[in-house]
Amino acid sequence: MEKKTVVAEKSAPAQALLESVELELLRAPALAPLSPLPLEVLVPEARQQTPAVGQRATRPDGRLHGLGQTKFIDDFYLPGMLFAKIKRAGVASARIVSIDTKEAEAMPGVVAVLTGAEIPCNSFGPSLKDQPVLADTRVFHAGDGVAAVAAVTEQIAAEAIEKIKVEYEMLTPVLDPLESLKLETPGLHAPNPNIYGHKVIKKGDIAKGFAESDHIFERTFRTQMVEHVPLEPHASVATWDANGRVTIYSTLGRITLGRSDVARTLGIPMSRVRMISTIVGGNFGGKNEITTEPVVALLSKKTGRPVKCLFTRPDEFISSTTRHPLIMDYKTGVSKEGKILARQIRLVLDGGAYCSWSETTLGKACILSAGPYNIENLYAEAFVVYTNKTMTGAMRGFGAPQVCFAYESQMDDIATALKIDPMEIRLLNAFTNGSLSPTGQTLHSVVVKETLIQAAQRFGWNGAPS
Amino acid sequence: MAKVTITVNGEARTVSVPPETTLLKLLREHLNLTGAKLGCDVGDCGACTVIVNGKSVNSCLMLASQVDGFDVLTIEGLATTDQLHPLQTAFEEKGSLQCGFCGPGVIMSAKALLDEEPDPSVERIRDALAGNLCRCTGYSKMIEAVQAVANSVNSHPSVKSA
Ligand code: FES
Ligand code: FES
Repeated sequence: MEKKTVVAEKSAPAQALLESVELELLRAPALAPLSPLPLEVLVPEARQQTPAVGQRATRPDGRLHGLGQTKFIDDFYLPGMLFAKIKRAGVASARIVSIDTKEAEAMPGVVAVLTGAEIPCNSFGPSLKDQPVLADTRVFHAGDGVAAVAAVTEQIAAEAIEKIKVEYEMLTPVLDPLESLKLETPGLHAPNPNIYGHKVIKKGDIAKGFAESDHIFERTFRTQMVEHVPLEPHASVATWDANGRVTIYSTLGRITLGRSDVARTLGIPMSRVRMISTIVGGNFGGKNEITTEPVVALLSKKTGRPVKCLFTRPDEFISSTTRHPLIMDYKTGVSKEGKILARQIRLVLDGGAYCSWSETTLGKACILSAGPYNIENLYAEAFVVYTNKTMTGAMRGFGAPQVCFAYESQMDDIATALKIDPMEIRLLNAFTNGSLSPTGQTLHSVVVKETLIQAAQRFGWNGAPS
Repeated sequence: MAKVTITVNGEARTVSVPPETTLLKLLREHLNLTGAKLGCDVGDCGACTVIVNGKSVNSCLMLASQVDGFDVLTIEGLATTDQLHPLQTAFEEKGSLQCGFCGPGVIMSAKALLDEEPDPSVERIRDALAGNLCRCTGYSKMIEAVQAVANSVNSHPSVKSA
């Protein structure tokens, strides 16, 4: 039988309506304004202050928060629930020779033990699927989970993971991203190279720009790793129903992605996975991918009981994602007035052990690395490399704060050297309406200069133009 | 098992708990008072703050058996069925909380402060909240809320007993 197309012809009544009513009338707002307004008032105006600015906003859940009645994941209990703990490798780079779980399994109160070898598909990740749920053959950073235990109490689970014996063959870890960048350094995730993301932005001719410059400034800026530290630790609870469907309650902010990752790692169709996001006690980008979810799901399957796993604070620091540390080489050529004529940038992102959201971070850092300034001649290049450290991922701004630190610091360096007011050098170079971004996009609603001037006036910057 | 008798939010309760049970676990898991939160379990974050005999404490650092015979006030004990505590009203109106996870702890620290010192300076408020970490808000609206309550307590002494 032929399928009917979704875009059907207009039904007879609709057609009749269209014919009988003037089209203009159909376009009129459902509620006519009380008095006729000039049309231009309805056109949204860029840079017009919205009424929301400066208003105090309250939250619909604010009262429950204050009453202590907001239910976070750790605030509910399912009958018969077991508690899981994950054993961390504690070594940065090693091959796993053996994992002995016998002693842990024999402990009274321990119901099940899980190792990486039992995971149907032991890899996941938002772009590259390079992260194991629990390391089975190879440890890539000290926070890697190597085994998990489900027990009747958290205390027993914590004691049981201490009884698991893992034999490692130690490997030399690569900890310096610049070391990792070198082609001769063996790939952590061989056969894949250590550089797993690369981006170049080219504009104009930097050789010409530097040749025309009166001064050239060069400096390397570095930022450190930052943990999100959500006040609520990562957690999940899994329970299976008799039809072979798993329900996972989770602190994840991105449950749809989490659902597909869970389905992949468990080797079951997505339709068998129900993900319920509980109220999130702080995310900041750190709760964007699965952590404990497949572990609790598999432990629950093994035991036939609901299983919960709550990260300890140390788990949070060593095994959840962090903000990428960046090594940023900036070379900027300016005229004697302080106009930027050329800029060359190299960013090296320390990606840690796994890709996670590195590709997004790489792209954003690179695009924003030139700063909100008109630069005719630009060359920006960014690399993200593997190291044997806690993996880096999404965190507020995806790389934007790191490069902002670098380009603004260099603006200050230039201003100081040329004895120009730091405000002035920014006003001289800043984007205006119609400026082109480094990737060639025409920018609208640009108020960098206006914002700078207003801010400087308000906090009484003595160099503020009046 | 240790037998613990405490007064929680004005009600006497007796519970048998394993000896390693903290006050936080006693409240959350045995008395179903989940308002106090577990953020770190080592006394760093203040999410577990409750008031024991008038003093704010990190309940993750106290063993249940240490509070035997004591008077414990948790966030659940502040509001009545028809009235919020002034701190709860102020926190709501000023939008002092975002994700809310730190909220019960912060409010209990503020309550302990106001009970002791009805008209604290901003420095004293900051000091009293120093043990309560919040990753969302930046604290300023919490401080405003505590100040607002301090001012209203002073202008209407009757609120004091709330
Ligand atoms: S949970 Fe008690 S201070 Fe953090
Ligand atoms: S409101 Fe989220 S931690 Fe304070």
